[in-house]
Formats: sequence, structure tokens, C-alpha cells
Amino acid sequence: MSSQQVSKILRRTHLYLALFLIPWILIYAISTLAMNHKSRTSKPPLWELASRTPYEGVFPDNATHHTIARQILTSLDLDGAHQASQSKDGAVVIQRFAPIQPIRLTFQPATRELTIERQAASATAFLERMHRRRGFQHPYLLEDTWAFSVDLFIFGVLFWSLSGLWLWWELKVTRVLGALALASGVALFAFFLAVL
Amino acid sequence: MKFTHLNRRIHLYLALFLLPWFVLYGVSSIPFSHGTYFEELDKAKKIPLWKTIAEKSNYEMPPQDDLKAFAERIVRDLGLPLSSSFGAYRQSPTQINVYVYSFWKSSQVKCFLDEKRILIEDRRFRWDHFLTGIHAKGGFEQGGVHDLWAWLIDLVCFGMLLWIVTGLIMWWYLPQTRNWGGLAFAAGILSFALFLWKL
Repeated sequence: MSSQQVSKILRRTHLYLALFLIPWILIYAISTLAMNHKSRTSKPPLWELASRTPYEGVFPDNATHHTIARQILTSLDLDGAHQASQSKDGAVVIQRFAPIQPIRLTFQPATRELTIERQAASATAFLERMHRRRGFQHPYLLEDTWAFSVDLFIFGVLFWSLSGLWLWWELKVTRVLGALALASGVALFAFFLAVL
Repeated sequence: MKFTHLNRRIHLYLALFLLPWFVLYGVSSIPFSHGTYFEELDKAKKIPLWKTIAEKSNYEMPPQDDLKAFAERIVRDLGLPLSSSFGAYRQSPTQINVYVYSFWKSSQVKCFLDEKRILIEDRRFRWDHFLTGIHAKGGFEQGGVHDLWAWLIDLVCFGMLLWIVTGLIMWWYLPQTRNWGGLAFAAGILSFALFLWKL
């Protein structure tokens, strides 16, 4: 394969991968800005009561809070990435992760009461949730697909960096100024590594 | 200089200047995304993460109403580097932990309030922690060179937004790539919208 062909493949991959991943670049850039300017004293988002109703479902004997959580979520058509815990009074608290509006469900086994709360809308909380959502720890295909998309973004970042260097080197007229920009960036970064 | 020419140069030179940050955020996202793998890998070594450096009894604890001031007093008292990031959090009603963090070294001071005892510990160096530590560093609360780092993070974010704009302009001026590019662009937006809706 000639260097012209390699160059064309790199250019096209650089471009099309970037076009596909634009929403991810946007969300990571904006959420990083929001998190960088977030005050440590900022309050956590509020929860708004959606409903409080008796729960009619029957659980298997000796059901753990994980089993109870999964059954409640499935019966409400809310199954998906979640975290379940049991408080000292026996209440099962389920945090159903969702990008736009997370849900908190609290089931009281003694009274069989199920309380559903939705997190009040907050742009910064939404951005931070999207930024931090990653990993293959949940047993859901959609979650794994999202985690894969995050890995694809990571691959994209590394690919754009390397292919960008290659494409820069091909443009002979930009070598001097480009080298100056690269060297100053590397020097500044090395300074931070040394002092921070 | 024509607009398209200027557009290409901004895209290129900004990328070259910010390349170290861009590579850092890419590489350091790997241990975040695959945290379990790295934890298991380290656990297999069976080496404790924290090592006790010193212990002091009958230690006069500073006032605890302002945790930032509490941390600063402890850091000064113990001669820990003030140039590092530091802070404190309440571990329990009778324990406050002060953390002192720099890119290369991380320490904590466990303050047992009721026993008037402190325990100073250093964290073993781990490359994945080093990377995630740099990745997570931000904010304008520490002052000095820490704020300069936070400004650079802002610049990286604006750089990413500018790469989108300049990249889209460059794409539009390459008519032969419009169909495939349009398809990639639309597929990205649709996939992302699907994730927002269904996750």
C-alpha cells in the first residue's frame, strides 16, 4: 500500500470517526466545563415524590434485597442499571440510574408501601451523570453497549492524536509552527507534572 | 489568508498544543472504564495499598467546624507539602480523614477525635491511580498553580468544541465525503439519542 493510500485511509477514518462521535465529544467537553466550575458546597439534586402506593407483588422466601429490587423494577417496566441497598429499618432502597431523570424507589416490607421519587431536573447533574457513566459492571446489554461506545470514544481520542500527528507531518509548510505548538504544549504539561 | 485556510490551521495548531492533555484524558479513561480489571490485577499482588508512616498520641485536634481549615492546620502542623491538593472529610462522628494529594504521591491523616490520636499513611504508587488522579483533578478552589491547571482544562474543553466546529467546516468543504460523512454524523446522533432515551 502506497503512503498516499495510507494517508487517505487515515484522513477518512479521522473524519468519519469524529463525525460519528460528535455527540460524545460534546457531552464530555460540556460536562468537564461544568464539573471544573462546580463548587464543593453545591447541594445535591432534590427528589420529587411521584407516587406512594401499596405493592401487591409476592417475593420468593428468603428473597435478598437484590431479588426484591429486580422484581419491583421488572414489574414496573423499569428494569435496567440500578443499585439496591437495605436500610436498618428493613426498607429496600433502589436507585434506578437513568441519564435524564434517575428514579429512587423505596419499598417498606412491613407496610408493603412503595414510594417512587424522581430526581428534580438539573442540567449540571445530567452532565455529570453522563460523564461518569461507564464500565461493564451491570448485567444489561444496553449498558454494555454504552460502555463499548465509551471505549470507542477512548479509541477515537488516541486515534485522532496519532493520525493527527501523521497528517500534520505530511503538511510540510506547517512543520515549524506545528512543532512550536507541540513543544510548548509538552513543556507546559511537563511543568504541571513536576509541580502539581 | 482565506477562511478555510485559517480554519484548518486553527484545527491543527490547537490540537498540537493540547495533544498532551488529549492523550492523557484518552489513556486515563481506560482505568476508569475498566476499573474492575485494574483492581483485580492489583489485588492479586497482595500488597497493602496504604502504609503507616507515623502515629501520634495526645494530639491536640484543631476546631472541626470548618473542615478545610481543619485540614490546613493538620497539613501545616505535620509539615506536609502545602503545595499539594488537600482537604478533609468526616469518616464517622469520631473520625476525620485529611487527604494530601499530588500527582505522584498521596497521603492521608486519620484523626481519631475521641482518642486524640492521628495516623499518617502513604498510598502505594499505582499507575492506574496516577492516571485517574490526573484525570479527576480540576476546579478553582486551591489557588495558585492549581488554578492554572483548571484554566488549561477549560481550554481543552473549548478546544474540543472548536475542533467540532472547525472539523464540521472542513468536512463541508470536502464534497466527496458528504454522503458517508452525513451518514456517520446521523448515525452518531441517533445512537446517542437512543442511549439517552433507553438507558
